[in-house]
Amino acid sequence: MAGDNEVNVNESKRIVPLNTWVLISNFKLAYNLLRRADGSFNRDLAEFLDRRVPANTIPVDGVLSFDHVDRATGLLNRVYLPAPEDGSPWGFDELEKPLSMTDVVPVIVFFHGGSFTHSSANSAIYDTCCRRLVSLCKAVVVSVNYRRSPEHRYPCAYDDGWAALKWVKSRPWLRSGKDSKVHVYLAGDSSGGNIAHNVALRAAEAEVEVLGNILLNPMFGGQERTESEKKLDRKYFVTIQDRDWYWRAFLPEGEDRDHPACNPFGPRGKSLEGLKFPKSLVVVAGLNLVQDWQLAYIEGLKKNNQEVKLLFLKEATIGFYFLPNNNHFYTLMDEIKEFIHPDC
Amino acid sequence: MGPFDSVAASGTNSPSSTLSSSSSSSSSIAKPPPPPANDRLLVDAGYEVRSSNLRHLACRLDHLDSIFSAGEAAVPSAVGLHRSDTAVPDGFLGLPFDACAAAHYNPSDLTSWVDTLLSEFSGPLHPDAAAQLGCWSSVGPTGTFGQQNLNVPAAAQPMAALTAQEEDSGIRLVHLLMLCAERVQSGEIQQATTLLDEMQALLSYVNTSRGIGKVASYFIDALSRRVLNVGLPDSSPATTYENEVLYHHFYEACPYFKYAHFTANQAILEAMEGEDTVHVIDFDLKHGLQWPALIQALALRAGGPPMLRLTGIGPPSPDGRDTLKEIGLRLAELAESVNVRFSFRGIVAVRLEDVKPWMLRVGKGEAVAINSIMQLHRLLGAEANKAEPIDSVLSWIREMKPTIVTVVEQEANHNQARFLERFTEALHYYSTVFDSLEAACSVQPNKALAEMYLHKEICNVVCCDGAARTERHEPLSEWRQRMDRAGFSPTPLGSNAYKQAKMLLTLFSADGYDVEENNGCLTLGWHSRPLIAASAWHTAPNPPALPDPNHNSLL
Repeated sequence: MAGDNEVNVNESKRIVPLNTWVLISNFKLAYNLLRRADGSFNRDLAEFLDRRVPANTIPVDGVLSFDHVDRATGLLNRVYLPAPEDGSPWGFDELEKPLSMTDVVPVIVFFHGGSFTHSSANSAIYDTCCRRLVSLCKAVVVSVNYRRSPEHRYPCAYDDGWAALKWVKSRPWLRSGKDSKVHVYLAGDSSGGNIAHNVALRAAEAEVEVLGNILLNPMFGGQERTESEKKLDRKYFVTIQDRDWYWRAFLPEGEDRDHPACNPFGPRGKSLEGLKFPKSLVVVAGLNLVQDWQLAYIEGLKKNNQEVKLLFLKEATIGFYFLPNNNHFYTLMDEIKEFIHPDC
Repeated sequence: MGPFDSVAASGTNSPSSTLSSSSSSSSSIAKPPPPPANDRLLVDAGYEVRSSNLRHLACRLDHLDSIFSAGEAAVPSAVGLHRSDTAVPDGFLGLPFDACAAAHYNPSDLTSWVDTLLSEFSGPLHPDAAAQLGCWSSVGPTGTFGQQNLNVPAAAQPMAALTAQEEDSGIRLVHLLMLCAERVQSGEIQQATTLLDEMQALLSYVNTSRGIGKVASYFIDALSRRVLNVGLPDSSPATTYENEVLYHHFYEACPYFKYAHFTANQAILEAMEGEDTVHVIDFDLKHGLQWPALIQALALRAGGPPMLRLTGIGPPSPDGRDTLKEIGLRLAELAESVNVRFSFRGIVAVRLEDVKPWMLRVGKGEAVAINSIMQLHRLLGAEANKAEPIDSVLSWIREMKPTIVTVVEQEANHNQARFLERFTEALHYYSTVFDSLEAACSVQPNKALAEMYLHKEICNVVCCDGAARTERHEPLSEWRQRMDRAGFSPTPLGSNAYKQAKMLLTLFSADGYDVEENNGCLTLGWHSRPLIAASAWHTAPNPPALPDPNHNSLL
């Protein structure tokens, strides 16, 4: 950051590569059209505009994918696997064996972003993201198509996340390593990061092992208006007004932003004492207006004696990880890779 | 000079002043940016935006953003706990959004999406917006907030009632087309225009996605362009790339070009038996699709392959690329992989008649093959008071004493003096071609783009005159006479070529294609209507007859 009080309104154009700027501005524009002032959402238009891609068991750039739908709940998970190294075609009979008998293959349960309201597991931007995670971080990824607000408020997304985690942990074909278990990490960007935290919480309470949390630009908030919110409002694609809208759409009606789902370490926050909570990697973009809440989250974890690493990317805006055209992207991938392969 | 150099030819009278000779590229102009391509990363995100268009798109997005900001400033802020802050109805500022969705069909095409929004929401620039437009210089449109038309989707067209009615309408359409052409012939433009209106109305009762309806709609379009002076489908140099795309899809969608290449190659192969050095001169290289097969066939020749020289003639690339050289390089790589000694030379020419024989650099002892696929008919038009270039071109070809001249042409008479006859012939010819496309090709976008390719041809035949009309197809009988007058004798294509052409056709699923032998020539047609004629020629021993002064269609 420049260190001034006044952030030049043209800054985003100078800081962000042109194609990223076009991409995120387009989202911002489209999202403006979809949110209604009365709190409802134009879901039909949203679905029409969202760019989707199908799964593909034929590897593309070394990654293949397939979808699993839970018949009882309709919950869809998209699984991303690295292509077989010897170049042989992949078939569903591969699901009769574990990922590896010797090596540990981390499985990342990924929750896409969209402020609880937008996008899906099969949105093009997220499908591409997950594929990159597989190839660059050497992991298997399971992307969860959780139910979104305002049609489905708290705690639906967390319930779906929890169901997905249980599903992943119980798949024999996701096991790896000599200890033959599913080495699972939770990850997500924006609202996905928030979901990851809350699912990890539930897991810790149920004593289900999660090896780590990766919170990329996680969506947190509170009643108070923080410095970063006031300073960066409307400057880098995000506005306080839209943040408020999404919280109102997600939280139970009548609730305010100090609800623990939004503000986990705020006045109504919960202690993590005695819980075996996973280690966390929290990525904060220096030009995201929500960063004070993200930093407060990190403080909260520390106060609860939980292991947390902050990756602060000073000149990054939201969505820097959608296109691999900047240093932050590669820094992020390296950090994640190191995080999930601690012994390498 | 290496094997891949190119020579530029121009239309002036003093070649020495315009010739630019270079060792690696034909262009002495500074290279413009590479051809338009979509931003790869945005493609991964599901959006198609040309890289060259990004900046412009960003400006427009920025402008839209400032419009929204201006709007929000007018609306009481929603910051805080209150949920139902304002009385703003569905949409934004009273403007329903579903109208946009109806108007915009492809959200991947960001540019048109943004333009659609801009045209619906464009209003006065917020005072700060101009400053916010900052480092991008373009300023958006100004105006007042328009009243949004509630775009109720148009009621669905009444379905074509009975097949009989459709048939009747189809027949009536053809009748009207002929009537309209007669009016155009006699200069009665007013009546022609009225007939055009009537035909347009009739089109809504006909299924225009296939059959007579489709062909009729193309011809109505072409007639309209002629009568109303609307202009041709874009033929600017910038769309040369698009033309290449259309050609490529036409090539894939139906067998005509493949047949042409195949048959010509067969004739060349047979004629060049025993020759050590073969020099093929291709009058229109295009994508060079004809040559890999010849190279491979030569590689397998009994006694080993000859040295193959290929001279490819083509138009300049608008974006400064040396397309000819690129194609030449690819062919060279192929030749190398099958151990055929090969060299390539590209000749850039806007018009075929601008190519002079000395540019072709035919060497001593080379056996020459001249290859013309759908090119000779372009030489039949002439500028006012000038002779048709065909005679001089055929003359220098003859002087070169080629071992073989392969000629493939559309089997149609689209060069008649009178418009009405031309139009009628074209209507029948292209109906047959469209018919074959429909039956034989269901692959999209091949079919749609192949139709666009044909559409351009149709428009040229129907709308253009004089030097602009390049599609001057003449039937085989006419070409026989011309070649004979120019001092050539026919080289019969033979039963081998015939058998192989038939085999080629079995690769195409539709049972309508016919190969016919026609006095030493082969025609490819659809359901007994020949559409393409292939012939081969060599230099006759007798000196040529003088050019026929009556054979001059100056129109």
